[in-house]
Amino acid sequence: MLLDPAEYVRPGCRLFIDTNIFMDVDPARKGRLKRLFERCAERIIAYHNPVIVPVKIIDELTKQSRMGRAGLPEDRASAVDKAKKALELLDDAESMGLVRKDLGDHSNPYADDLFVRVFERFADQFEMCLLTSDVTLLIRIRMLAGSTGHKLLAGQLTQDGMIQVASFQDLLRRGQSKLRRKQEEGDRREVEELEPLLADFQRLFAAELAAERRIRAAGTARQARTARTATTARRGVANAFRPATELREPDRALNVGHIPGEGEEVLIESPLGSGTLFLGAPLGEGGEGTVFPVGGGWVVKIFDREHITQHRKEKVSLLVSRGFRHPGICFPQALVTNRAGQFVGYLMPEAKGREFQRTIFNPRRFKQAYPDWKKTDLVDVCISFLEKVAYLHTRNIVLGDINPKNLMVDAGKEVWIIDADSWQLEGYPCPVGTPMFTAPSALGKPYSDSLRTMEEERFAVATMLFMILITGQFPYARAGSDGDIVRLIQEGNFAFQYRENSNRDQPDGNWKYMWSHLQPGIKGLFWNTFHRDGDRYGRRPSAEEWLRAFRGYKRWLDSGTNFDPISNDVYPTRYRAMAADTPIYECAECGTSMVGKWNPNTETYSTPKHCRDCQQNLPKCLDCGKKAATLSEGRCRECNRQRKYGNCAGCGKQTRRDHLVDDRCSNCQLVTCGECGQGAYKSQMSNGHCPACESRAHMLDSSRLCTRCGRPFITLGNVAWHQRAYKPVPDSHKVGDPDCVAPVPAAERYDWWAHPAPAAQESLLSRLTQWWRDA
Amino acid sequence: MALKVGSDDLVENPTPRVPVSLCVDTSLSMEGDKILELVRGVNVFLDTVDGDDDAHDAAEISIVEFNSVARLIQDFASVDRLQRVNAITPAGATCMGEGVNLALDTLENRKAMYSGSGVLYYQPWLVLMTDGQPNGSQAEFERAVQRVVSMVTAKKLTVFPIGIGADADMAALARFSPNRPPLRLKGLNFKEFFEWLSRSVSRVSKSTPGDTVKLDLSGLAGWAEL
Repeated sequence: MLLDPAEYVRPGCRLFIDTNIFMDVDPARKGRLKRLFERCAERIIAYHNPVIVPVKIIDELTKQSRMGRAGLPEDRASAVDKAKKALELLDDAESMGLVRKDLGDHSNPYADDLFVRVFERFADQFEMCLLTSDVTLLIRIRMLAGSTGHKLLAGQLTQDGMIQVASFQDLLRRGQSKLRRKQEEGDRREVEELEPLLADFQRLFAAELAAERRIRAAGTARQARTARTATTARRGVANAFRPATELREPDRALNVGHIPGEGEEVLIESPLGSGTLFLGAPLGEGGEGTVFPVGGGWVVKIFDREHITQHRKEKVSLLVSRGFRHPGICFPQALVTNRAGQFVGYLMPEAKGREFQRTIFNPRRFKQAYPDWKKTDLVDVCISFLEKVAYLHTRNIVLGDINPKNLMVDAGKEVWIIDADSWQLEGYPCPVGTPMFTAPSALGKPYSDSLRTMEEERFAVATMLFMILITGQFPYARAGSDGDIVRLIQEGNFAFQYRENSNRDQPDGNWKYMWSHLQPGIKGLFWNTFHRDGDRYGRRPSAEEWLRAFRGYKRWLDSGTNFDPISNDVYPTRYRAMAADTPIYECAECGTSMVGKWNPNTETYSTPKHCRDCQQNLPKCLDCGKKAATLSEGRCRECNRQRKYGNCAGCGKQTRRDHLVDDRCSNCQLVTCGECGQGAYKSQMSNGHCPACESRAHMLDSSRLCTRCGRPFITLGNVAWHQRAYKPVPDSHKVGDPDCVAPVPAAERYDWWAHPAPAAQESLLSRLTQWWRDA
Repeated sequence: MALKVGSDDLVENPTPRVPVSLCVDTSLSMEGDKILELVRGVNVFLDTVDGDDDAHDAAEISIVEFNSVARLIQDFASVDRLQRVNAITPAGATCMGEGVNLALDTLENRKAMYSGSGVLYYQPWLVLMTDGQPNGSQAEFERAVQRVVSMVTAKKLTVFPIGIGADADMAALARFSPNRPPLRLKGLNFKEFFEWLSRSVSRVSKSTPGDTVKLDLSGLAGWAEL
């Protein structure tokens, strides 16, 4: 089977090239690399998705090209040339952006292991295709695809630049002949690897064959694994429905006789044959019909009488005839009729798991159903959902009524889409809807009266993604609204905070924390899609775009750019840390994760000791009612200070109240002076005397003169002291006191007052000056 | 502490709520089997709602009794925080107007709390059950009727007026329900009524606010659509 390599450079796909493609010297396949790039170049550039040539391969080519040509046999020498040419080609291609050579490292011993490991690791993120001629590798990749159920391919590169994928039989044959060859050559390593591999492969192949035979016999459609690994995607896209723009004529009920029930037989018709089936005990009753098991993992939906209509019959017939298959989508595979051949329902694979509504759309239920799940698991659910939606959209099928009762999920995070009969295709509208998931442009009119546009479908997709990540909360929920869903959607006032667009109306509870921990890119997409001022409000992201974004989200959760450890929790208890350097610590009381709060004024982070809950549980001060970590006598420090301390009326100092007498501290008490008996403040007192008395005490007693120098020598205080001590008051300076200076003899002393100045011609002043000079 | 649990409960559950207000007559005329059956019926209602997955998350129930005065027995709460009703001793007159007004006031408070927190809710239900004639204040009665009728017309309330027994004043009840005639309970078949009521709650909560829900018809002619 031939495939176009251009399919594998689409977004979400990756194309790899192995060494041997470059080293092939067969002239019949010359120039095929060039053709390959010619086919792919446009898409590669458009999607920024270059072909990958791992580092290990480059190493091998480089090693080959460096070998000296001289003395080598012809084929080896041309191999060296080939390697050189290949490296040149790769350099050129890299500079044009068609190839990337930078992935991987130099450590893997064998390049074939490298590819298998890479494919294993990324199977759930990308569809991958490897170009190689090594049979062992082709077989291993085929088996990996079979065992994981993911789209992984390996094939050879034809002359024309197409990918040739061999059939099972082909691979088996070639593998067996290689084994024989290696056994002859005595290559032990290869034999040891290839022999068990072929045995497993054969077993796998045998199971496929048998399964095919069994299913064909039952008259229902093929569900062979080969169909999947050979990617019917390509065939399917060519098989898509027409993108209709006209609404069909209104629906009408069909006249049906007997509606079969449990235990009865029904007829089935499909492109691959017909048959009969017996209906088992009903599995569930929906709004429109009942679902019965019929064995083998299949179920039959039988409609209620009023829901057997022309539109449903035609829709189901169209879907059955196309024969689409996809794991996780319950495509109708056969029309079901009653014994009289009247349409009553259809056959589909049984969906696994339980409704979103019962499992992940309510925190209590979610914690019960999947207690170990982390955010990354919810992201996986989103990716699983998106893959299927994208599949349907590329076939021009619009789901129409995306809601949590039409989607199931199991513990393996696989999403199942049911209710195919409500899809919109080829002009047959989706007759039902759920207001919570209905875009503003479609609200207010009956669902069956018009065709849903892709824009409206994308609204439902975005809403569903939001509600999966935020386990059941409605995107437009807002504090201060009156709960009217239709009006909330029409107003377009998305309340969750994004960048500066803070809306004070985020709903109460932990929802805002959950929102804050989403990856910034995802938040941006949600905000711009839901908020009426957002730039995606009228051109919402497609399923493919969401798929890329969510795959990136998954990588981000595991990477180092995600610096907040609780961003992988489904129910974080606080906002996300602002930046990589924001302090993240634990509450002193209960240990829950806390994050520092940025104060733009002080430009630092504030780190309160307790989380809000513990803060609330802290004991309250009896006086002021505020919470405090430590209370003394039931009161916080502030109130205690208030209570126990007061300001002294005298000096204003803060003193303990029980030390205050008459509102005064001990320093400011009124006491009586020991000397004069007057009241004075203690602080002003010294030596038991009031300031007045004290200064008096320092004054020299002028009535007592030193017997030697005749001048006052002793302070009043000193006199009093002697008197109090019943000691004789000294009558002179202490011996040797420098102040004790013998007086000037009396004769030379002129007593001014005793002898008034004679009436002389000279003025008093001049005589004074003269005296002064002479003395 | 209890208050904190309540607000967590309200806010953690994103399911759109169905507020159901039971407004019951406990006047003297209800003495005997009537009151016993009524209490049993209410408890059956609570049990059935508790047992139903969908209704369990959505229903919020309040109970108002009226005799000579109106009293709130139970403020709105989700079913797992409700205790079953104990026996009630009927006595006194039938102050229907006061009872209905109290029920409506409680409802308004609850709606304010929903709005404040950003919780979604459906059109509330008022279940009014009486076996006699209203003989409370005329002014109160008129005010109650006016409030109910205006809310029903604005599609902000759904009313189920139920008459118990032969003496029930159906005309008075009819004044509360402008669109549909009031229902007379068959004998003392409270249990059947309340089972139907809880199934209806479940159906409403399975749909999404704004849908019209088809109620199960059996035995309740005139109540084909909500």
